[in-house]
Amino acid sequence: MARTLAMFTDTSLCIGCRACQVACKQWNELGLEVPAWTGGYQNQNHFTDKTFRLVRFIEEPGGKPNGDLAWLLMSDVCKHCAQAGCLDACPTGAIYRTEFGTVNINQDVCNGCRYCVSSCPFGVVAFNESTGTAKKCTFCNDRIHNGLGPACAKACPTESIQFGFRDELVAKATKRVEALKGMGFKQAQLYGHDTGGFLGGLNAFFLLLSKPATYNLPDNPKLPQRNVVVDSLLSIGSALAVGLGVLLAFRDRGKGDGHHDA
Amino acid sequence: MLKAPHWEMMIVWYFFLGGIAGGAYFTAAIADNFGSARDRAVARVGYLLSLPLVGACGILLIADLGVPTRFLNMMRTLKFWDPMSLGAWAVGVFGLFTFVSSVLSLSSLESHAALRRKIGLVGMLFGFFLASYTGVLLSNSALPFWRDARLMGALFLASGASTGIAAVTLIMFATGQAAGEGWGKLKRADHASMIIEAVLLVALVVLLGAAAKPLTSGHFAPLFWGGLVGIGLIVPFVLDFVGHRTRAVGALAAALVLIGGFVLRYVVLMSIQA
Repeated sequence: MARTLAMFTDTSLCIGCRACQVACKQWNELGLEVPAWTGGYQNQNHFTDKTFRLVRFIEEPGGKPNGDLAWLLMSDVCKHCAQAGCLDACPTGAIYRTEFGTVNINQDVCNGCRYCVSSCPFGVVAFNESTGTAKKCTFCNDRIHNGLGPACAKACPTESIQFGFRDELVAKATKRVEALKGMGFKQAQLYGHDTGGFLGGLNAFFLLLSKPATYNLPDNPKLPQRNVVVDSLLSIGSALAVGLGVLLAFRDRGKGDGHHDA
Repeated sequence: MLKAPHWEMMIVWYFFLGGIAGGAYFTAAIADNFGSARDRAVARVGYLLSLPLVGACGILLIADLGVPTRFLNMMRTLKFWDPMSLGAWAVGVFGLFTFVSSVLSLSSLESHAALRRKIGLVGMLFGFFLASYTGVLLSNSALPFWRDARLMGALFLASGASTGIAAVTLIMFATGQAAGEGWGKLKRADHASMIIEAVLLVALVVLLGAAAKPLTSGHFAPLFWGGLVGIGLIVPFVLDFVGHRTRAVGALAAALVLIGGFVLRYVVLMSIQA
């Protein structure tokens, strides 16, 4: 495996221009969709089969260091989890991990069972009715294999979205969060940078200015498949109980040896 | 901010019919192996019922795909930790077992019967799997209430047993085979699985706590309490207790168990997707 690539989205630098969202749409030819009225500048409430990058506009009362209303901006994207629920759920092998550590859906293999849609802890993967397949951010798979960064990172005018080797970006992000704290942003924190943390770390990780819940991100997302063994054992227990019940009902009590008569 | 997979009526039917197919088959296999010769009628009905139901399951699953022509892509890999992958394989393998068992159940040769009993013992494992894996599949998603329901697979299995036995009971009644001791054995088996189902249902709801709200107090609550708990569990018990000498009452109870099994799948799937 090549060195792991990552995207680091520093929300403190985002100005909400949505160049990333547009660049993503254009490069990936995602097409038109009916705009969503969200009560603000945000267009689309959440990721769709045609929106892989989404700038979120969030108002947080008292969120600023001086107690004023904070207007938080965040360019959100598929997290390319190191332990990816969608990938584990996929029964066709259409969802795969690239040599760069990103997670991609092979559109020629996906048959649209939609288990990945229900298995993403962030609600990223979306079903496309016209192709009948699951869609999500590809980390611009075609671009990174040709020496270009993802379209969103390329388009970002403030370097809020940075692309590079994961270890280098984490080092940079750690310094940045300390600097922000020194400036009075007490809640500044990294989300998903730690490979020892939830989901083995996110290959698209974030610097947030408030707690994750403010951004509608789960505090501690978990791999959906973590209970397969327990749930299966409980089912086996149920099978034994039911099997025994049926067996006791049908057991041939007329014959002493319990064997079938011909 | 999670997304629902939009598994709707076709998947509700699949979960329901798959449970019946699995339940009918393992009941048949147990009756065939451990019952008396007079229980052969039960075994034959169970085997012959599971075959068309598995066929219907396969058709429903394929029709629900975004790209149905790619259904064979499920056979590209086998993931042991992935209920969807194992389930796709299990439907196919179980289908073969139901076919062979059905064919053998039409023969009156004792050598065929011996083979059928052995095949039933192995096929039974796939029947148990088909009846329960759908619950494990839901409980290993990221969606609220499904992901917390550790006992979903166990509950679906017990419900598969009770609905499978109820379906066999109804067919015995409709085809005039309700006389004799096989009927009483079917009823006892159905009661055992319904008691296990009721215990698991209570345990599931208690363990879920506040997460059970989509079932117990939301828009789907009347269906859950009335359709599943009332019509599907309590009323059939009362009917069987009051009218245990009357075959028609027993058949009515079996029909209500089937309705309860359908409602269970419906409320579990639709309550957080609708």
